[in-house]
Amino acid sequence: MSIAHTTETGWSGGKAAVSALRKVATSFAVILTTLLGLLVITFVVGRMVPADPVIAVIGDQADQATYERVYKQMGLDQPLYVQFATYIGNVAHLDFGQSHVTKNPVASDLARVFPATLELATLATLIGASLGVPLGIISAVRKGTWVDHLARIVGLLGHSTPIFWLGTIVILVFYAKFGLIPGGGRLDVYNEGLVEGPTNSIIVDAILAGEWEVLRDALLHLAAPAIILGYAAMAYLSRMSRSFMLEQLRQEYVLTAKAKGLGQRAIVWRHAFRNIRVQLLTVVALAHCGLLDGTVLIETVFAWPGLGQYLTSALFFADMNAVLGSVLLIGIISIAINLLSDITYRFLDPRTR
Amino acid sequence: MTMFRRQFLVTTALVAASFVAPAAMAATPKDQLVIATNMSSMRGLDPNELNQLEAAEIVANLYERLIVLPADNITKPMPGLAESWTVSDDGKTFTFKIRSGVTFHSGNPLTAKDAEWSLRRLVKLGLAPSTDLRQWGFKEDNVDSLIKATDDSTLVVQTPEVWNPNLILYSLASFSTSIFDSKLLAEHDKGGDLGREFLQTNDAGSGPFSLRSWRVNDLLIADGFKSYWQGAPKMRRVILRHLPESAGQRLQLEAGDVDVATRLSSSDLGALDSGGKVTIQKTPGFGFYYLALNQKDEILSNPKVREAFRYLIDYDGLANTVMKYYGIKQQTIIPAGLPGASDSNPYKLDIEKAKALLAEAGYPNGFSKVYYATPVTPEYEVAQSLQANAAKAGIKLDLQGGDHIGKFRSREFELFSARSGERLPDPHAVLQSYATNANNSDEAKLTGLNAWRTAWDVPKDIQEMVTAAAHETDQAKRTELYGKINKAYLESSPALVTSFLRTDAKAVNKNVTGYVGHPTWLTRWDTVTKGE
Repeated sequence: MSIAHTTETGWSGGKAAVSALRKVATSFAVILTTLLGLLVITFVVGRMVPADPVIAVIGDQADQATYERVYKQMGLDQPLYVQFATYIGNVAHLDFGQSHVTKNPVASDLARVFPATLELATLATLIGASLGVPLGIISAVRKGTWVDHLARIVGLLGHSTPIFWLGTIVILVFYAKFGLIPGGGRLDVYNEGLVEGPTNSIIVDAILAGEWEVLRDALLHLAAPAIILGYAAMAYLSRMSRSFMLEQLRQEYVLTAKAKGLGQRAIVWRHAFRNIRVQLLTVVALAHCGLLDGTVLIETVFAWPGLGQYLTSALFFADMNAVLGSVLLIGIISIAINLLSDITYRFLDPRTR
Repeated sequence: MTMFRRQFLVTTALVAASFVAPAAMAATPKDQLVIATNMSSMRGLDPNELNQLEAAEIVANLYERLIVLPADNITKPMPGLAESWTVSDDGKTFTFKIRSGVTFHSGNPLTAKDAEWSLRRLVKLGLAPSTDLRQWGFKEDNVDSLIKATDDSTLVVQTPEVWNPNLILYSLASFSTSIFDSKLLAEHDKGGDLGREFLQTNDAGSGPFSLRSWRVNDLLIADGFKSYWQGAPKMRRVILRHLPESAGQRLQLEAGDVDVATRLSSSDLGALDSGGKVTIQKTPGFGFYYLALNQKDEILSNPKVREAFRYLIDYDGLANTVMKYYGIKQQTIIPAGLPGASDSNPYKLDIEKAKALLAEAGYPNGFSKVYYATPVTPEYEVAQSLQANAAKAGIKLDLQGGDHIGKFRSREFELFSARSGERLPDPHAVLQSYATNANNSDEAKLTGLNAWRTAWDVPKDIQEMVTAAAHETDQAKRTELYGKINKAYLESSPALVTSFLRTDAKAVNKNVTGYVGHPTWLTRWDTVTKGE
């Protein structure tokens, strides 16, 4: 807290508080509008999908009487706007409805599948960022050398290799051929049921319960899909950090620092890197967001029971409650990550305060 | 400090090394059965609600039914929970003696009252599988008087009309007619839901296995029921793992991490078949791969055009390739092994013959039509093959993959092909859908019948014979009648062209015995044993 702040009058403090409050209220309104818009679009698009949710429930051989009974039970006889209003009303009471496919409340399904994806996406982002950022920076600094070329080839491969293909190859080689990794799922079946809850993240739950064997098994299962996703994230992050860094190295202050006789390391890490932290944070947050809703292929290959698989199978069977619930969750998470990175900017870059 | 750091590094390295140590590749334990499956289309585990193969197999082992149809003698009803039964002379009253000494997983004894409650529940809920009883005339308002337990060991079922007794007995062997623990479900009734909510994640059965846990699209664990009346099953538990990728299932089967793989592609089945480590089971079902030609369409309703399409299917080529594990070539309508079935397959791919028929019909230059098919193996490959052959005969088919079953049900299509899955081991199940259409008007909305969907006004004599055969109680006369129907259907240039009888293929590790695919989806786990 600065001295100027402490000597301010009560009035201006009040003004600041009002302005802060207004900002919070505005962001809140923006968030709500965004989420509502997201739901409206998903709802409308969901109704245009050719799959018939009633047939998904009753099977294709059921007769018309059964069809009509279930059609009514699912509330599909109501006009679209009534269905939507009912849904929004329920969501306001934190009731996300029941999935027609799993027959569970959508909230409890999401509480089960989301931590699985969160574990995977977070570890992948960590791997991607911790390798990709240094790689990008090194190749920027050593632009045009073999290090740069190698880094760019690694990046290009990561960017252009289809993830499901890589996943299949990894399983084929490391599981089927050498038996180094498990064949899929989050745990070996023999470790199933040893830890349950409270977070549904097996890693966290195993640590809480002190089940080290389960933790080891869970990490072993997590390793391959996380490394593959991490590699893809690394490719993206290294390219981005390379171009951010190159841009900084072209700036005049770098020339000045060089003229002053400052060492390469100090210029890159103390000056240039500080200036790209905000941009880096943005792309890392974006990569994380992307992984949270975009891991469906790797989830399918590794039989990972996460959000991607849940959402895809819900779409396939026109399970609208599950689709809307998942989309809402992804929306909220994206907004939360954005907010979090906004807040972090303020610590990293005084100009954004 | 340096020492501390070194020690820290060594410890970290050791911990890291222990994590990358090879995963144990041992085979599954001898007293546990691991089945790889695809759970994504499973709709809960309420026998009165589900309609699909994977869930049916699970329910078959959690619950029991009055009648058992053995996998190796599917048309012979055997005692299940009903120790014995009699059928009255007028053919309308079935009296079942319920087995004593059977207990549910909860410990409650099973009585005729439970059977009464369960069968009434199926009819009253009126969901998809309720057809199993509703098609014989049971309705919400008559079921209380028609299905009655007269004492704890006697259940009396009266049918509104006379049907061939086998049809009723077969229905009472279906997964939908599983017997519930009515006391337990009364305790868990929520606002009169007859225990529906409870049954989504629990079981209320007396079968050889009880449900321990189920996570949708992930994992299901069932424990052997120690007090099972036929003796505790050899498998202490059965684990079903959701592996949506065929390649994944195959690799895990080869590595010994799973014992049975149930959803494999043709190429993976072929590779496993030649590998020699596993047995490929081809279980014939009672449904068909069919092509529907909409009879509301002027061109397609021409009998010669319908006939031409039968010469455009490459029966033999498909049988040796994509259909090798998924079907058996069959052009007649009564599934092999059932009364009246025939092994006659007079049609083969013949482009010239098809062209001649098209010319006779007045379309020597062919025509263009939209063709809907489901984009899954092997249905789509079959559709693509037809499309290619049709093109040679001048018919341009615009093949569109997607979920078009809704359009088929509402008659908004030109050509449509798919696979059906009847579950009654009797010709009537297939014939009812493919060869009866009591009212061909749009308003009749007989949307459960393939014939109505195709707008095919099935020849009246065929329809009359199908109805007569269902009511016929004399088995010899019935078989003769079905023989006639089979012939008449083949000769009628049907708008529903059948090419392959459906089979379901599973790959089973050679050390597993007693896992026998069941044609009506009731594969048992209590007969399974595992060797070395």
